This record gives sequence, C-alpha cells and structure tokens, in this order.
Amino acid sequence: MLFNLIVLALMLMSFAVQEFIPPIMPETTHYARLFLPAVFFFAASVAVPFPWMLILSLVTGVLWDVRYLPMSSDAGQASGAELGMTLADAATMGTADLRFGYSILVFGLLGALMQGVRPLFKKGRLELPVVMVGFSTGAWLLVQYLLMTLLRGSFYFPTAMWLKLVTDMMYAMFFSPLMFLALHVLARVTSYEIKYDGLRYNYDGR
Amino acid sequence: MRNFNVIALLAFLAVAVALLLLNKGKSRQLQDKVMSVFSPFIHASASADKAMEGTTTVVGDPTALKRDNEKLQIEVQRLRIITKKYDEMMDENNKLRKLVDYKQGSPFKLTAARVVKRSAGTWWNTLIIDKGSLDGLGTDSPVITDVGLIGKTGKLSPRMAEVILLTDELCRVSAYVEGTKERGILFGERGGMDLRPDLRLRYLSRNAVINIGSNVYSSGDGGVFPPGLHLGKVKRFENREISGEAIVEPVVDFESLEHVFVVEMQKAEPATGSEAIQKAEPVQFEKGK
Repeated sequence: MLFNLIVLALMLMSFAVQEFIPPIMPETTHYARLFLPAVFFFAASVAVPFPWMLILSLVTGVLWDVRYLPMSSDAGQASGAELGMTLADAATMGTADLRFGYSILVFGLLGALMQGVRPLFKKGRLELPVVMVGFSTGAWLLVQYLLMTLLRGSFYFPTAMWLKLVTDMMYAMFFSPLMFLALHVLARVTSYEIKYDGLRYNYDGR
Repeated sequence: MRNFNVIALLAFLAVAVALLLLNKGKSRQLQDKVMSVFSPFIHASASADKAMEGTTTVVGDPTALKRDNEKLQIEVQRLRIITKKYDEMMDENNKLRKLVDYKQGSPFKLTAARVVKRSAGTWWNTLIIDKGSLDGLGTDSPVITDVGLIGKTGKLSPRMAEVILLTDELCRVSAYVEGTKERGILFGERGGMDLRPDLRLRYLSRNAVINIGSNVYSSGDGGVFPPGLHLGKVKRFENREISGEAIVEPVVDFESLEHVFVVEMQKAEPATGSEAIQKAEPVQFEKGK
C-alpha cells in the first residue's frame, strides 16, 4: 500500500518535473522530448497491481489532458466549405479535435498491456519491459495522431511526424531503466512484493 | 481478488466515460483550474531556462538595463501597432466620410504580454504568456505582434494564458490575398513539428491568378480575428480536386517571440450617419513622430 501511494505521489510530481524538461536537439528532432509522466506511468504499470494501474491511468490521463490538450472554440465540429458552410461559419468553428478524457482510456489500455511483463520485472529482467515502455510511448503518440487525423478528415503523415515519434520512443526507452531501477529500490525500501496473478488459472476442484 | 479487479475495471470505465461526456464548458473550467496549479512550475521552469541562457550570453548591465529594454520594446511594438491602425483608420475615414451609412470601425484594446515559454505538449503548437484572466483576457482572443497575427488564446489561469499558434491546425483564420478577390481559410500544420511551417490557404478558386509574394491578410469574417492583420506571403499556388490552395509563408518569426499583444475586441455602438461624419474629422497625424 505504501509503495503504491508513493508511486502515485511520484506520478503527480512527474507532471511538475515535465515543465523543466527541454526538447533535445529541437531543430533536428522536431521538438521531440522525454514525456516523463507517460514514461513513468508505463514503467509503474509493471510494478503496481491491476486496480492501482487503473488509478494511475486515471490520474495520468486526466492531468495530461487538462494540462496539454489545447482548448479549441466551442462552435461547430465539422470541416468547412465542402459542407456548404460560409467562410464566416468555417472561420469561427473550432477544428474538430480530441475530446477531454480520451487519454484515460489510452493509458488504461496500454497500462494493461504493460502488466503482461510483470513476471520479467519481478525477476529483474528489464530488456522486454524497456522495449515495451518504448512501444507504449510510441503507441500512445500514434493513437493521438491517428485520432486527430480521423477527426480532422485528411491524411497527412509527413516524415517529420515519424521522426518525432521514433525519437520520443527512443528517449522513453533510454530513460525507462532509471525508472525501473528507482521502482526496484522503492519496492525494497517499502518491503513491497510484486505479485503476478494476471493469467494464472486456479482450479478449486468444483 | 479477481472480483475486485473486475469491480475496479468497471469503476474505471464509468469514471472515464463520465469524463469523456463532460461538456466543453466544464472541461474548460477544469483545465483553467489545473493551469493555475501548474502556473508556479511553468514560471519556475521559464526562469530556469532564462538562467541557463544567461550563462551562455554576456550581459553588460544586468537587471536595470534588461528591464528598461523590455519596457521600451513593448512600447515600440505598441506604437507600431497604433501607427498602423491610425493609418488604416485615416484611409477608412477618407473613404467613408462621403457615405451616409458609415459605421464606426470597432476599436480594440491591446494587452501587452511576455512569452513565458513554449508548451511541452505532444502534437500541438502552443505558447504560454504571462497575462491571464485577472488581466482581463478571455479565451479565443487574437494575439498579435507589430508584424502580424500570432494566434489566439486558449486555456487561462489568473496570471497565465495558453496561445494556440497560427501555425497549428487548430487555429483557423479567414483570409484574403491582397490585390485579388480570392478569400479562403488559412490552416497551420498538423502535429506541431516545426515552429515556422508553411501555412495553407484553402478553398480558393481553381486556377485563381495569384502572384507569388502577394500578402495575405485576415478578412475578419467570423468575428474572431480583426480584419487586416498580416498573416504571410504567398509562396506558390496549387490546384486541388475541387478548389485551389496557396502555400503561405508566415510573416512572423515564431522562434524569436518575446512580447505579444492580446487583442480584446470591443464592439462599438453603430454611429448614425451625421454623427459618423462629425466623428470622421481628419486627425493631424505625422508618421515618424
């Protein structure tokens, strides 16, 4: 319990720390940077039990959307002139965009996926968990971009977008071992035992 | 334990769906409140950035000089905008004095703000400025410099506001090409990959005759952005399936923004014809003074 609460507190702190993280080589990587709250969430998903993973995804999703999802205009949601709208209508309407709260579901889904590598994390094997953190970060960003594309109605996948996405994934993979290490230390300090009952089937004889 | 997991999952889904179904007003309120919580961290990080910059640049007379310079820069930009607006109003006056149905142009109030930092979001091009709701700012207010349009305000905290840049696809501006009857909607780039990407002026006529280098201005349609704001210059024109599209180079250098002005549109009472003619007395205004 203490471990889970500390992880939750660290998660909240990661949002404050994120403000201080600059983009690394912004010109060449198109402002790619380490998204600490997301990366910490994916790393922590491996260490905490399923209900706590859901709580973490709720907190991460809400805070991320609240802080980083831009607020667009209230008026109309569809795209303009092709629908016979006047220029004035089209100019005042907001471009359809992601809805507040969508990140909770994305984080919940990817967190559930991360729970699958708990046995490896428990044994101290970090290869697959590190790759999975990178994969989850990439999947999270790609889902965001795909949803934007779906809602705005035109396909646009420039090389810069892929470069930014892959660089973000690399940063996530590069920093995740530090987080796994910190979680291991925290587990030892708080005498927390990582249990895994994900796919185990118990037959009770009935 | 498994039953507990199922209950937790159901509770999670219920909360997630409830949040997804929140109306925009409530989610805005929530965003504004959390923005206020984050304000100290955003300010602190901006100060840290500044301090880091300070270690690499040599400053002659640090504090006072910087403060004076900042004030003067704001003043110069403010005066440039006012001069520009004066010129436009003089032209307008000369044209409209003869017309009985003249309506007074809406004046606007400018609030000077300093750019705090660029937001650390994923796929959006946004900035944070140091003025907020306590300074009288509202959401969806145009943000400009003396050169042209920057974008519009988004989330607000008491002492801070987010600016959605013109270069973001989320910020659309109704615009026209100088010297033509072509009007369209100017879009930024999806994904916030670049601070100064090319903009796209869509929904123009196919085969429209547009000169390369022509200026693009806001047309004021829709009432969000005032008319006549400089947006960019046409780089090239492309014919699409059903309409034409001009590629526009933004006129503002978004990488070197330090001070901006938030425009608060004030709707003026329409003046009657005779009043308007009286109000349109020529003003003695000399450029450069």
